[in-house]
Amino acid sequence: MTLKSTLARTTAKSAHWLLHDVLHRGGTSLPGKLAVSIDPDVLKSIQQDFDLVIVTGTNGKTLTTALITRVLQAGGYEVITNHSGSNMIQGITGTLVTSKIKPSANGKKPVAVLEVDEANVEKIASAIKPKMFVLTNIFRDQLDRYGEIYTTYDKIIAGIKHAPEAVVLANGDSPIFTRGDFPNERRYFGFNHVQPAEYQPGAAPINTDGILSPTDHSVLHYDFITYANLGKYFSTTDQFARPNLRYQVTHVDELTPKYSTFSIDNTPLRIEIGGLYNIYNALTAFAVGREFNVSADQIKTAFESNAQIFGRQEAIHVDGKDVTIVLIKNPVGTNSVIDMMLTEQDDFSMLALLNANYADGIDTSWIWDAEFEKLHDTNIQAVATGGQRYKDIHVRLKMAGFEDQAIYQDLTRIVEAIKAMPTDKVYIVATYTAMLQLREQLGSAGYIKGGF
Amino acid sequence: MATYDISVAHLYGDLMNTYGDYGNIIALKYYATKIGVTMNYHLVSLGDRFDSSAFDFVLFGGGQDYEETIVAEDLKQKATDLKQYIEHDGPLLAVCGGFQLLGHYMVMADGKKVDGIGVMDHFTTNMYDKSLTVLSGKRLTGNIVIKNNDNGEEYHGFENHQGRTFLGQGERALGTVISGNGNNGMDHSEGVIYKNVYGSYFHGPIFTRNGNLAKRVLATTLQRKYPDIDWQSKLNTVPTESF
Ligand SMILES: [Zn+2]
Repeated sequence: MTLKSTLARTTAKSAHWLLHDVLHRGGTSLPGKLAVSIDPDVLKSIQQDFDLVIVTGTNGKTLTTALITRVLQAGGYEVITNHSGSNMIQGITGTLVTSKIKPSANGKKPVAVLEVDEANVEKIASAIKPKMFVLTNIFRDQLDRYGEIYTTYDKIIAGIKHAPEAVVLANGDSPIFTRGDFPNERRYFGFNHVQPAEYQPGAAPINTDGILSPTDHSVLHYDFITYANLGKYFSTTDQFARPNLRYQVTHVDELTPKYSTFSIDNTPLRIEIGGLYNIYNALTAFAVGREFNVSADQIKTAFESNAQIFGRQEAIHVDGKDVTIVLIKNPVGTNSVIDMMLTEQDDFSMLALLNANYADGIDTSWIWDAEFEKLHDTNIQAVATGGQRYKDIHVRLKMAGFEDQAIYQDLTRIVEAIKAMPTDKVYIVATYTAMLQLREQLGSAGYIKGGF
Repeated sequence: MATYDISVAHLYGDLMNTYGDYGNIIALKYYATKIGVTMNYHLVSLGDRFDSSAFDFVLFGGGQDYEETIVAEDLKQKATDLKQYIEHDGPLLAVCGGFQLLGHYMVMADGKKVDGIGVMDHFTTNMYDKSLTVLSGKRLTGNIVIKNNDNGEEYHGFENHQGRTFLGQGERALGTVISGNGNNGMDHSEGVIYKNVYGSYFHGPIFTRNGNLAKRVLATTLQRKYPDIDWQSKLNTVPTESF
């Protein structure tokens, strides 16, 4: 380690200490900035201290990263990880240079498990050679900010090309990950819970993206689809098909809004969160764990003993009402939430809040690609809408056949809105900044503690 | 009581569907249902024949660059039938990529030139074209408001495109830009009207946010199929969604 890099790290650590321990503010961007300004190669100076795993993709990065962290810790690894708010280069640099890196209990190298924004993969991978890239999924997401899915994947590939030795561990159910010209070894995980007798071969529904075969650009067919364009796909014009899976979901037993039970490679597992998409997150963590020689039993224990990390779908109580808050930001994510609502056995109401600030995506047209019509198959009893773009979401749900809606233009009336719902169970789906405003209201009314 | 229905063709609905275009069908169906008209939906995609006599309304949406090149290739075998449909006053809404491909050609951001089918006279160049005098090299992204020159109606939407479209013979703009950029950021035109074809860059989707336009196109569609009924009066009884 050079004097310059030592100085860079020391400065970053004191800035972090000042921010975090003295001023009680989060944030790792400023320490990252400081360190890089003193030594632009500061990351190179510490890369031998740990193995780097990059987790990237559109949906599920945060929970997947948290799960991988717990799984590797259960296997005796010392793990460094970042917060979802700092998944770009400066935040990540800050995280790495301010972390105390202790030796692993199992005698192996510590592991840095980093959630990385798709557009920042190359910046990280060019500074530190990763040992593994974990690719969750790529869906269209806030096109005004991120662009099209193949452009996003190209950005990730640009990062992969910096580390030809790294293993690419990818979701094999997503056809896009079979594309790309790079020499890295690819290993796949996916779902294989449907017996061949139950296959229903056919094309995906019309509003599904990314369904062309990489070989001859024909429309792919599927033996089964789990959600969106994920599933067991094959070409009807040539030999192209889903690659062999190294890690697979072998059974799906019970899907409820609060938990799921399933098996991966015949190990029965349970996670304390609903939604099939969250089983993908668990599968990804399982696959990474096994790649690092963590046993299936240790992974099972890691899932069971860390129930609190499945907290993203937040459950709170408002005067006897059982309220679940879910973030929505793109069609696939919203459809997954609606699929989760299909597993709700009780009557419920839904409050949908739409904002269109930069962090939400300023283009609201995606709400027309989410299949709100499917809510008619659930036990939904009432719908209310609100947020800055309440008119958009109001008309969307009206045209989906929910004509009778309470409308809340002003989120300061949100507690009142919840209380006015006719059922005990209430789901609130909200875009990012609407969710922050909602939390602020619930916080000042005393229904949730602390900040966010 | 007689029953009325319309058949809708969604051209490449499995590939050209990137920015909420399907919302246009949802909106059309919503207004149709309000006046007792049933809608039948048909996907017409790669390898399928487009039968010009089988449909009362056609939606041709926008897609990602990759899908758009595949569609452009397949579209050639549908060109004659589409031309016939359009020249026989068939109602059609083309958004973004669909709008571009009905013209002579489009140039993608990377400079690749993709042939359209030229059933309409516009062409689309890319944001790096040297002839651009405004906003060269920038995507045209943001909220947009336009005013229809024939009837003064205002339409609201969101645009997000790199392509710059210039209208040709016999084509007039869907509207004049009040705020935003429109077809090319230079001549204040947005979209196109040619016979009963409407083209636009609006991702809004345009029919959901502009019920006035949706109802007008629906009335045209129904009048063409069932000329003895006053559809406009029926539609006037339905509240117009506009935001
Ligand atoms: Zn477009």
